[in-house]
Parts: sequence; C-alpha cells; structure tokens
Amino acid sequence: MTDGASTPGWLLAGAEDAPPLLCSGKRRRGGAIEKTVGGLARLIREALVSEEIAARRGLLQRLDARVKLIGMLGLLIATGLVRHIPVLLGLYALTLVLAAASRIGLGWFAKRVWFFIPLFSGVIVAPAMFSFITPGEVVLPLGHWFGHEVGLTRQGLTSAALIVCRVASSISLVLLLTLTTSWSRLLASLRTLFVPRLLVLVLGMAYRYLFVLLDSVTEMVTARRARTVAAKRSRRGERAIASFSGGALFGKAHALSEEVHQAMLARGFSGELRMSEWPRIRAIDVISVLTCLALAILVVGGDRALGL
Amino acid sequence: MHIPDGYLSPATCAVAGAVMVPVIGVACAKTKEVVKDRHAPLLALGAAYSFLVMMFNVPIPGGTTAHAVGAVLIAVLLGPWAAVVCVSVALVIQALFFGDGGVLALGANTFNMALVMPFVGYGVYLLLTRNTSLTSRRRAIAAGLGGYVGLNVAALCAATELGLQPVLFHSANGTPLYAPYHLSTTIPAMALAHLTVAGFSEFVLTAGIVAYLQRANLPLLRINHSGIVDTDAELAPQSGRPALRWALIGIATMIVLSPLGLLAPGGAYGEDSPTDLNLHKYGLHAIPSGLQHYNGFWKHTLLGDYGFSSGRHANIGYVLSAIVGALAVGAVIFFFVGGVRLAMRRRPEAQADAA
Repeated sequence: MTDGASTPGWLLAGAEDAPPLLCSGKRRRGGAIEKTVGGLARLIREALVSEEIAARRGLLQRLDARVKLIGMLGLLIATGLVRHIPVLLGLYALTLVLAAASRIGLGWFAKRVWFFIPLFSGVIVAPAMFSFITPGEVVLPLGHWFGHEVGLTRQGLTSAALIVCRVASSISLVLLLTLTTSWSRLLASLRTLFVPRLLVLVLGMAYRYLFVLLDSVTEMVTARRARTVAAKRSRRGERAIASFSGGALFGKAHALSEEVHQAMLARGFSGELRMSEWPRIRAIDVISVLTCLALAILVVGGDRALGL
Repeated sequence: MHIPDGYLSPATCAVAGAVMVPVIGVACAKTKEVVKDRHAPLLALGAAYSFLVMMFNVPIPGGTTAHAVGAVLIAVLLGPWAAVVCVSVALVIQALFFGDGGVLALGANTFNMALVMPFVGYGVYLLLTRNTSLTSRRRAIAAGLGGYVGLNVAALCAATELGLQPVLFHSANGTPLYAPYHLSTTIPAMALAHLTVAGFSEFVLTAGIVAYLQRANLPLLRINHSGIVDTDAELAPQSGRPALRWALIGIATMIVLSPLGLLAPGGAYGEDSPTDLNLHKYGLHAIPSGLQHYNGFWKHTLLGDYGFSSGRHANIGYVLSAIVGALAVGAVIFFFVGGVRLAMRRRPEAQADAA
C-alpha cells in the first residue's frame, strides 16, 4: 500500500481530530519468556538444519556415517584421556583441518564452537583459577587474606585452560560428525551401534516434532500477545499462564499423536523400524576408521610420554 | 545440570555408561508395555518438551548449569520408564547438535536427569497421592513436590560426580585434570541454585500443568493412571488414620536407634567444652572470660549430656532422653496448633475472605 493514488484520502488524513481509540494502552515489549521463545526458535532451526552442509562435496561427507561415528567416539575418548594443553590444541587444530577439508567455513565453525564456551564453561571454571579453590603456586598475587597470599595459581590456570581446551576439542569433534552427516544416516548408524529401536524411533520423531512444538509455542505466544490489551500484569498470573500453556501444549500433542499414529498405520507401519539400505563399505572408509583409531592411540600414547 | 565432555574423567564416564546401557534397554522394553505404539509420537513430544524446558538454563560457577528438566511431569503422565526414554532422547539431541552436555558424559547426564530424577520424583508423587482421586488437589501439589525433590536429588548426583574428580584425578603438582571443584564447593553451588530458582520453576511448571490437565484434559492423565477414580466423592472411605500411624512408627524407630549417636567419634563442631579447646591454635592464653562466665550458666538440666548424672547406662539414658524430648516437642506443637485452630475458628469471616 505504498501507492498513494489507490489509498482513499480519509485514510491518509492525519488522525488529530479522530476520536481516541478505546485501547490506547502502550504497546509493551514482550516479557522474558516471549523474547526467549523467539530467539530460541531461530537458534534451534539454525542448529538442526545442517542438511545443506551434509550435502556438500567434502572429505567427511564422503565417508560412511558408521565410520564417522566410530572414529568420532575414538577421538573423543582420546581427548578425554589427554592431560596436556599442547596436545589438546593439536587435536583442536586437527578438527579445524578436517572442517576445512569438508568445506565448512572455518570462521563459522569456530564461532559455533566458541560461542557457548565463554558463556558456560568460562563462567563455571573461572573461580577455579584462584588460590582459595585450587591451592598452589601463586603466579598473579591479588592481595592477602588473613595472612595468606591470594591470587591466580599456576595449578588453577592450568586446570581451567585444560578444561576449556578439552571442551572446545570435544564439541568440535561432535559438530564435525553432525554437520557432515544427514540426520537419517546418523540415526541409522546409531541403530548399528545397538541403540534400542524405540530410542531411535523416538529420537527421529522428537527431532521432527521439535519444530512442530516450537511452532505451536510461537503461535501461542503470539496469540497471547494479540489478546493482551492492558499493561498491568502479575507474576502470579504469568506463572499460571505459563503452566496452562504447557498443559494445553501437552493436550495438543496428545491429539496430534493420535492423528500421527493413524497416519503411520495407514502407511503400513508395523512396529518395525526400517532403514534404507546401507551403501557398501569402501576401502576409504576402512582406511579412515583405522586412521582415526590409530591416531587416538597415538595421541594418548604421546600424551603419556610427555609425563603424567 | 548438563555436564560437558572434559569435566568428567573417561573412567567416570565409563562407569556411568555401564550403568545406563542396561537401564535404557529395560526402559525401552517397559515403555512399550505402558505406552503403546499408539503413543510413540507422544513420547517424541515428551522428549521435545523436556528439550525445550532444559534450554532455559543459567551457568553456575562451581557447578554446571541450573534449569528445570520436566522429567517428573513426563513420569506422571506416561510413567517413569517413559520419562527415562524421553529425557535421554532430549539429552542426546542436545549433546549432538548443541554441545550442551557431552557425548561421553551422556552416561552421567542420563543417570542424573533421566534415571534418578524421574524415579525419585515419581516415588515422592506416589507416596503423597495414596488414596486420592485423579482430580484431587493433592495430586497436583504432589507432582510439583516430586519435581522439586527429583531435581534436587539429580543435582546432588551431578555435584557428587563433579566433586569427586579433583580427588581422584590430579597431576603430581596438584593440578586438577578434570572438573576442578571439590565436593565442598560443588554441592553447595548446585544445591543453592536448584533448591531455589530451578527447583521453584520445576515445581510451578509440574504442579501447574498437572492442575491444568485435571481441569481440562483428564484423558491425558488416565494414560498412566488406569483404575484411579475421577473425584474424591467416589473414593472408598478409609479406616483409621494411616498417616498418623506411620508418623508414630517413624518416630519410635528413631528413638530406638538414637544410641547410634554414641558411636560417632569426636565432638560436634563448635560444641566443645571450654576445657577441650585448643587455645594455641587460636592464639589465646586463657579461656575468654565471657565464655568462662556463661559456660554452664544453666545448671538445672534433667538429663545432662543425654544421660544420667551417674554417667552409667548410656544407651538407656539416650533412649529416655529421646522419649522425653519427643514428648516435650510434641506437647509444644500440640498446644501451638490447638491455639492457632481456636483462633481461626473465632474468626470465620476472616477465613471466608481468605478462601
């Protein structure tokens, strides 16, 4: 409606002499929950829709999902066993090389990994650097407390850095797997690792219904905002609404689940979970999984050679 | 409560994983019995619900993160085994796609949040809802309390797992190799956040949703509550007062067991007699005059040190002290409650306003 010619003049005329509207309350910015729901929906969509990267033609995309899963687990255990920061940094560098070889933007990849680390691990680990949590050799004195020197200790700093590096390497390894593998293949590979059928079924459906549920939540929040006219609100009322909405959501889910089950039966669901045929294991797959496992052993061995 | 990879040693992860592998197997088998194939999508939605609830988390210095889980609500609606499956699935998705909680730490995370929490919470719920109808108000509150207790026990488990790491795994110069905090830090840090904010939100969410379903959607509650009548009016009348009986049995047991306290070595912190004080440790040369003056200020005790003045028959003295103490406390509460009741009865109009 940017075209002025098609808009009647009375609509464009100023509203100075128009009678005040009945609902003239100020439009409020949404509460914490409303804002978070919107941000959350975007975040989850971003994190879960990685099929585009999985379809690129890169190194890891070429490998069999089972091979990647086993290789990732091997390297993850090695990361857990490593006790030296340089070795962990080496492992992190390896994940960056693998990401580059799999045509994942390095900046984007690093951002995905490091976005949450300062936020969570950083806050959790920070107090451990101080002498009152981790006693030891004080390298950065900050003062005295009842005659004892307080400050950052060598042991505390090492321990905090060790954890942050290990978390970063671990998350990078897991991300490499999930980014370069399509979800259906990943699920199927879980089945080959003897994960129970029901768990895989629920995992697959939960992944799908997360979006449906998120849409429902977003709609409910929007509908509630649309009906909110007064600025006055109470915490008690908000809590009641949150739990009523949760209850209503479960009710909706229940109704939906009946429909989905009917649809499953109509399409011939017999209680058995069928996966599409696995492609044959190729030489490159065997070589990759052996390389990963050898690397894992080498890393742990090298780490132990550096001393305990 | 999500423990990321790198906080727990692989040995701890292996132990937790070894516990959880058979549990998940049993859970899948049991879930199929209670929740038929028809409800598989409902399980998925339960998992999605738990996933969403857990997204609202805050990091705790000294612990991990604090958030509600929703496990007890799922346990109430679909049974505790279904809750094991749902919460595990939510944790797997979070570990794989968000790096929230580790992949190797999945065993420990599922142990805390998908096994301990729903079972403890559901146990509390069952205990508090005996002889109640499906629409009873007590049921909603019991579900909420179950959520609160379950969440806190789960947080305690997580704190214990984290707190054991620096004791078990550290390098020669004392550098902790995994989580750096001792039990004395992790337990208070986790307890503080979960006893207050996270526990409160879990309570409100669980009790609120159950209360809503009681009003608006009974069929959903009936999935896991077959054979329970709908309203209080349909309940068979109960004989006696089982609650009072159980309370008395509990108190009697504690009285009989009270001499166990004699086995404990050492004294309680801050309760030493002045003569036992290690004065040098505090840089003192004599017992402070105030302490000296007020020590033994009250000399008219009936059973000093929970025993007879002769100091003989310590066990009988302990039991007798317990009986006398329990009776005294009981009498005080009896008269206090009686007084409050009397006062309430005299103001019926005020009571009507409050209702």
